[in-house]
Amino acid sequence: MRPEIKEYNIDWMIWSIIKTAGRTTRGSDREFYAMLEYVPYFKGILVPIVREGEAGKQFLELVGEYMGNIVNAHDDGKKLAMTTFCFSPVILYAMDIIPVTLEAISTLGALMWRRGTFDYLDYCCEVGFTETSCSAQRGSLGAYLAGLGEDIDMIVCDSAGVCDTNANSFAFTSAYLDKPFYQLNYPPELVTDRTTSYHREDYYGLIAFLEEQSGNKIDEGRLRYVLTELKKQDEILTDIEEMQSLVPNPMPILYNLFIYAGRFFFAGMENYTRMLETMRDTVSANAAEKKSGLRSGKENLRSLFCYIDHFAVNLSLWDWLDEHGITQVGNILSKYYNADAPYLEGNREAGYTINTENLDSMIDTMAQMNARMPMVLSIRGPYDAPYMWFESSLVLAKVFSADCVVYNGTPGCRNTWGMIKPFARDMEKAGLPTYIMYGDAFDERVESWDATEERLEEFFRVRELL
Amino acid sequence: MKHATTAGPIQHAEESVQKWKENGGRVVGYTCSFLPVEVLNVANVLPARLRGTGVSQADIGDTYFGPYICSYPKCILQRAGSGQFSYLDGVIIVPGCDSMRRLDECWRKAGEDFQDIVPDFFFHFGVPHKAADHSKAWFSSEIERLMKSLEEHFGVSIGEDDLRQAIARYNQGREMLARLNDFRKASVNTLSGEEAFALSVAGNLMPRDEYTRYLGEYMDEVSGRKPGLYNGKTRLMVAGSVSDDLQLIGMAESLGGVVAAENLCFGQRHEGDLIGEDEDPISAMVRHYLDESLCPRMMGGYQTRLQFLKEKIEEMEIDGVIFQNIRFCDLHGSENAIFERDLEAMGIPCVRIEREYGALADTGRLRMRLEAFMERMT
Repeated sequence: MRPEIKEYNIDWMIWSIIKTAGRTTRGSDREFYAMLEYVPYFKGILVPIVREGEAGKQFLELVGEYMGNIVNAHDDGKKLAMTTFCFSPVILYAMDIIPVTLEAISTLGALMWRRGTFDYLDYCCEVGFTETSCSAQRGSLGAYLAGLGEDIDMIVCDSAGVCDTNANSFAFTSAYLDKPFYQLNYPPELVTDRTTSYHREDYYGLIAFLEEQSGNKIDEGRLRYVLTELKKQDEILTDIEEMQSLVPNPMPILYNLFIYAGRFFFAGMENYTRMLETMRDTVSANAAEKKSGLRSGKENLRSLFCYIDHFAVNLSLWDWLDEHGITQVGNILSKYYNADAPYLEGNREAGYTINTENLDSMIDTMAQMNARMPMVLSIRGPYDAPYMWFESSLVLAKVFSADCVVYNGTPGCRNTWGMIKPFARDMEKAGLPTYIMYGDAFDERVESWDATEERLEEFFRVRELL
Repeated sequence: MKHATTAGPIQHAEESVQKWKENGGRVVGYTCSFLPVEVLNVANVLPARLRGTGVSQADIGDTYFGPYICSYPKCILQRAGSGQFSYLDGVIIVPGCDSMRRLDECWRKAGEDFQDIVPDFFFHFGVPHKAADHSKAWFSSEIERLMKSLEEHFGVSIGEDDLRQAIARYNQGREMLARLNDFRKASVNTLSGEEAFALSVAGNLMPRDEYTRYLGEYMDEVSGRKPGLYNGKTRLMVAGSVSDDLQLIGMAESLGGVVAAENLCFGQRHEGDLIGEDEDPISAMVRHYLDESLCPRMMGGYQTRLQFLKEKIEEMEIDGVIFQNIRFCDLHGSENAIFERDLEAMGIPCVRIEREYGALADTGRLRMRLEAFMERMT
């Protein structure tokens, strides 16, 4: 690792940058654009976010608050739990524990640093990770393994049985740093009685672990408050998703990122609700005017990203899609499978329902909700089994009238690279042109954005989609 | 007996599978050591662990699997697509890791392009990644689901007493394998690692009664050897990713070592302790296969696995450990690194190597690394 990288902690650096970025929106437009000269690299992410108006400002504040919580947790007498994007932070907030979500921090680094998170990625390999293990964790985990982050108190993940590479990153860290570890583990099916019971039992085990490690007993009142807030968020998300199915899609493309990043940061917390309300207002106004959310106002094509987005570097993917008039109707990260979601019509058992009646019903709610987190829901079993990846992607494509499907991940996604080729073939058979991106969402060294862009262009041109 | 060469036991095992089939027996291939093979034994079905050896190209494997996937399932799929598993009456896919679990879809989808490569009995056997009470309950229900499916498909009946007898049959082999290790102890030292490993691999294929007989005969022969046959050699242990070929062990032994222990899932790792014979057979199997597993897919069990290695190193008086992993194997690849860190801190020399599955494709590189490692210990 380069010596200069070792000067500051990763969480502190990101917090400082985002906190400062949040302040830039307080001045006049003229002041804002004059300031950009002094942040030649960072403006690639700052400008598109700020351009989204109030929602963009709220997003910056949200990220700043999230990172600030991590940096200040121990001073505030709180414990830090290292976790993963597909683990809902609701239970952590309900127990006054601060989540350190590796993939979220890796994303921020990949988006905002021209140097990427290369030093952290490589440090993981130095201490033993295979060179193609998932960059989503490595991009920030390297810092924590090197002691360049806040000291972690415990580790929780929920990817065993879903994504071994992901779960292994956390198991490794637990062994390497000698930290207490709990994993929620998922069977290869979703809605059978034995699986529902497994979800529940496993979740009770998680709560016992969190109580022991944090010293905080689960508080029924606080849990109800967080879940009530989550219910509001789900209702807003359902409204937005219903409008997303309109043609043209009235949702600004960057809102996709805001939706899932916000949810990973602050599910069940008021600040995320406020941002969602702002976003709903914008989407509703566009919908009323039958206006596309794209900057050009013209929607040429509708794309479904069946896995994740591309984060290295800046917001290049969304810029590119926007420039080409391609709207994004979502990806695996942005769908949450509340039973009321538009894509669960006729299939409500695949979703979760929030029940705040008593402590048991709330714990059960969280267990079933966590079992429907991105990736956890649909990557756990054979891709062509009921409720799994193919079926769920096909339903999304239909509900949101997608014209094509794009796969993007990281080389570390063994769970999807293991079957993406037959999956894509089945998608094509279903009439959906499907493109497999071979880059790395978090590491531009695997494939430069220029090369990625060229190949995307080629796909859309050759398949005569544009 | 065919153990004039070290590969003899494996060759014998392959022939016995063929013979079993010729005599009208049914064979079901499986992919991972978490499968309670006793259940198949009761159903009078020969469980034969799938191997990908002998594959020289991966065009079929690469067609269905993506690029960042371990070569072990790719080689199995290659063999399946080439018709080399056409003798199988069934396949059980066990999600040992992400790459292996996707063999399920890739094999079935390849079946749309290659005729008759997917047997009628094609079963996905789910295994939890932890050994909590609810995981055991789930695993137990999965065993029952498998039993029911076997009964329906093969028209057999699997009773509790039959299961107990099968457990006893397998335990007999387990006891013999444990005794076999005595010949590898420094005080006796009459069995090479290559031979011992070949005997273990053979156990993954051969009908169990025949295997037990074969082991007995082999041990009788080894008992007659002069003690100290391998004295003076550096005592090694090989651990890590799935491996069922003898070449890596053979190479280490050709460089002045003797592999006195291994922790490999085709080896004795999954045989482990005996399964209880006086209790409910399903509960006993659940405890054996989940609780006693030493595979890193059981997340969070590092200290247990380290302790096992330490005890083995002490018992077998190991001088150095060779950790190996197949490229793209995250589970073993990363855990090997922590093992290396912790064992080196205790003064035990270790080397970590990454390789492809099967016959050594890059022999020169591996030989050079092992030579350097052996030099370090002499």
